[in-house]
Amino acid sequence: MADQASRTTLPPAAAAGDTEAPVAEAKGAPGLVESNYDVEVKFSALQNDIDSPLSSLHSFEELGLPKPINDGLLAMNFKKPSKIQEKALPLMMGNPPRNMIAQSQSGTGKTAAFVLTVLSRVDLTQPTQPQALVLAPSRELARQIQGVTQTIGQFCENLIVEAAIPGSISRDTGVKGSVVVGTPGTVIDLIRRRQFDVSKLQVLVIDEADNMLDQQGMGEQCNRVKTMIPNSTQILLFSATFPEKVKAYAQRYAPNANEIQLKQQDLTVKGISQMYMDCPDEQKKYDVLCKLYGLMTIGSSVIFVRAWYRRESADEIKKRMEADGHKVSVLHGGNEGADRDALLDDFRSSRSKVLITTNVLARGIDVSSVSMVINYDIPMKGFGDKEPDAETYLHRIGRTGRFGRVGVSISFVYDRKSFNALTQIANVYGIDLIQLSPDDWDLTEKKVQDVIKSSRAKPDYAPNVLA
Amino acid sequence: MAGSSPTRRRSFQFASPQSSSVIAEILSEDRNSESRHKQLLELAKREHERVREDAERVYRDHLRREERQRLLDEKRQEEQRIKVEEQIAADRVRLHALKLTKVEAPPSPPTPRFPEPSRAAAVAESTTPAPTSTPSAVSNQSSVPQPPPQTNGSATPKPPAPATTFSPGLFGSSKAQPTTQPAAPGPPIDTTAATAKNRTPEAPRPPSFPGGFGNLLNNGAGSNRASSARPESAPPAGQLTVDRYTTIHKNLKELRNSMAEQAKTNSALKERMGDMRREIRKIIGQLGGGGAPANRQQQQRIAAVLREALTNRVQSQLVDPSNFVAEPRNPVQGAVHNDAQLPSLFIYLLNAFSKSVILQFIGEGGARPETADPIGVCVAATFSEPDFGWRGVSMIDILVAKFRIVCPVLFGYRGSEKTEQGRERLGWWKENGRWVTEQQHMDRMTGLGAGFAAVSLRKFAASKKKNPYPPRHFWTAMAKIINTPPNEISNTQCVVLKSMIQNYEAKFIEFYGTAAVAALRASLIDFPARAPEKSPAVNSLEVLAQQFKRDIGLALG
Repeated sequence: MADQASRTTLPPAAAAGDTEAPVAEAKGAPGLVESNYDVEVKFSALQNDIDSPLSSLHSFEELGLPKPINDGLLAMNFKKPSKIQEKALPLMMGNPPRNMIAQSQSGTGKTAAFVLTVLSRVDLTQPTQPQALVLAPSRELARQIQGVTQTIGQFCENLIVEAAIPGSISRDTGVKGSVVVGTPGTVIDLIRRRQFDVSKLQVLVIDEADNMLDQQGMGEQCNRVKTMIPNSTQILLFSATFPEKVKAYAQRYAPNANEIQLKQQDLTVKGISQMYMDCPDEQKKYDVLCKLYGLMTIGSSVIFVRAWYRRESADEIKKRMEADGHKVSVLHGGNEGADRDALLDDFRSSRSKVLITTNVLARGIDVSSVSMVINYDIPMKGFGDKEPDAETYLHRIGRTGRFGRVGVSISFVYDRKSFNALTQIANVYGIDLIQLSPDDWDLTEKKVQDVIKSSRAKPDYAPNVLA
Repeated sequence: MAGSSPTRRRSFQFASPQSSSVIAEILSEDRNSESRHKQLLELAKREHERVREDAERVYRDHLRREERQRLLDEKRQEEQRIKVEEQIAADRVRLHALKLTKVEAPPSPPTPRFPEPSRAAAVAESTTPAPTSTPSAVSNQSSVPQPPPQTNGSATPKPPAPATTFSPGLFGSSKAQPTTQPAAPGPPIDTTAATAKNRTPEAPRPPSFPGGFGNLLNNGAGSNRASSARPESAPPAGQLTVDRYTTIHKNLKELRNSMAEQAKTNSALKERMGDMRREIRKIIGQLGGGGAPANRQQQQRIAAVLREALTNRVQSQLVDPSNFVAEPRNPVQGAVHNDAQLPSLFIYLLNAFSKSVILQFIGEGGARPETADPIGVCVAATFSEPDFGWRGVSMIDILVAKFRIVCPVLFGYRGSEKTEQGRERLGWWKENGRWVTEQQHMDRMTGLGAGFAAVSLRKFAASKKKNPYPPRHFWTAMAKIINTPPNEISNTQCVVLKSMIQNYEAKFIEFYGTAAVAALRASLIDFPARAPEKSPAVNSLEVLAQQFKRDIGLALG
């Protein structure tokens, strides 16, 4: 076999590449050009993703990042900044520091954007002096951001990133890291007990900011944190969604901020094929669920169920799926912190590939190989679950289609109420939902394959960035 | 002798033949006279000369014997050399004949042009029939296209050029050991690493000195001769085999169409076929971390589906498996399947299995390359099952054919990312007539590189089964990428190379020892250093070297 090596190493371009033809010769056809010389691809064809939130004409190096940070990005296979990174980084890293309110679709690199800013602001010669604080709504998200910071900063010497979540900071030593990622409650406790010195804090990041500032309790906690830190601290607010009522509050929280915002109809990630399955009745949902996994290639998947369902229903789904050969984890707010960590670690390492969960994990969790999200129940909010929860829907389906990858979401409807709720959500974002039926699986398979193909082939859209 | 002293009386007496008369003289009256003394001196001198002459004669004899021995040795060596050269010449002639040989295209189902013209461009059917040197090929013809002018990834066709690949200097050198001959036992000493691997595919030996590796790197042709010189089992020529894969890929598409046709009239088949296909796809998606035991159940279920297809209860048509293998095969003793036909459903499901594997590599491995490994284990376990093979060899060519189409750089194809044809050669995918985005392309390549390593770096040492795709294929693919001339290095190659290596450095080193370390240095230090443009993809190779140094203490630079 080794002989193939030498045979094919003779330069093909030596024969063919000498006469690269001008673009005009390409006949404008996207397909094969029948010529015996190589033709330059049209610039517009090469850059057909120019308006996508992932496209960029610049490199990270051009953004002036120090080499250790750049090497960390390369180790993570990040090669080019996404649009939000390209737009926001110069604004956030500029001096004097200015606040930022930034919105970008799920899976477009928001975390990396603020982590890069944090790393560029930290003085590594003071490794145990807290200089940056990142707040997140759940312990899972805080741990994830801690992990991303450590990975991007893997070549930065003396970088210590601590997670301020229940049970992770020693009472004896207190916070001894230059970057602290935590949930608001634990952070406030630590500051109060004088185990977290915030006097040198350069930057405060609030991830999932609409949720953090809006939510009762957490909004209050975020306010408390702000009063405890130096006035000069740069404040960065990030989220995929910023409902109107939160926006004004965010602007007060982070005054004089640069803003990057999206229009409502640009919020959905077009790479995610959104479908719904018409189930004959609620009991049939189990069988339909198991059949879905043969229709397309699926890496990992997340199944969202209603919170009050958690014990009986989630366990029943788990039982059925395990009988079908799946490796399943069930994670809900009722689990202990350490159990939650272990369950999510199993899922991240593919020891389990199906995660059944509630809205606790709807936001922010990034497992890049998730290729299917199932809304086993349509997300609802308000008293008695009367109102469809469009934001949660958006965050849920955003667990797939990470960084331009293929993703599908399938929502189960089985009665008028669930159908109406889904229709309302689709109207909010202008989503064209595709119906699937559980009658002929050969046909459904074909339909799903076609949907995935066509949603990927759609020309990408302009997020219409307002700076 | 020269060191002994003839003047010492005792030794003189005993050594001398005239000892008795000497004693008489000693006992005589004038034994202390001067004349007597002189006479004795004279005698001693003569004796000394005699002994000396004797010694010199013996010494000369010895020298002559040595010289004669040397001449004999030289003669034998010369004879040996002549024999070797004769064999090489014969092999070269044979190789040349092989290269001129084209296997005639089979009269298999009339094949429409490749359905996706943009991808497969013109796959020209061979029109030059000629008998192959292996008798099996005559009875079992298979179609081998000529090097197509433009296949996906198939660069400017390079007709095999034996003249350029042979360097007589290497052969003529008196150093040439008979290692290029299959009959010669003993470890190869003066041959390339690749040769060593070809010899012992399961337990490849590292070459005994690094020069062998350098040889492979700088002169890939070096490895050519060695493997082609083997009269048996050697593929007709690398290029032919590689392009044979595009033919297999095409034949598989036809098979798929034929299955759809069959399903229209065979309702039993229609009922099972889709379910079996979806079952396989689902199971491959279930493979996860936790090692082989965690995936044993999945493995067994895939085997169960394939065995059901082998029983052919649904009566799918029978097909000739030779359309789906790279080299012609003859029945062999002990093989589970020796017949000229197998159920089409079985081949179809092997195809569905391979397709799902590739898509799983792309979809899941592209995002997280480490997820490719359990799939590689499953591939190796499935294709190595004796009853899933044909005529004693696995059917893994079906999977390799897919690799050939979606990731041509693994097979040595190169191209520029800035040109239409270059992208086609690199396997840059098109969807609905448009190139997929750069991010998507690089994701695909990441997953496929990791997947290729996951399939080709499997250890079968403790297994009774035969490795369907031994590690030499990994080495070959790596060599093909790093042998690229600097001005043709592409980001695609860097991305594939990186993901082939990452997470597999330990396995690679386990197989190839110091040669692997040299190969890693060539891949992560020398190769990126040669690249004219220091793109992020190029730099990430060097960053991987940094990571090895930091994490496992492997200093390559």
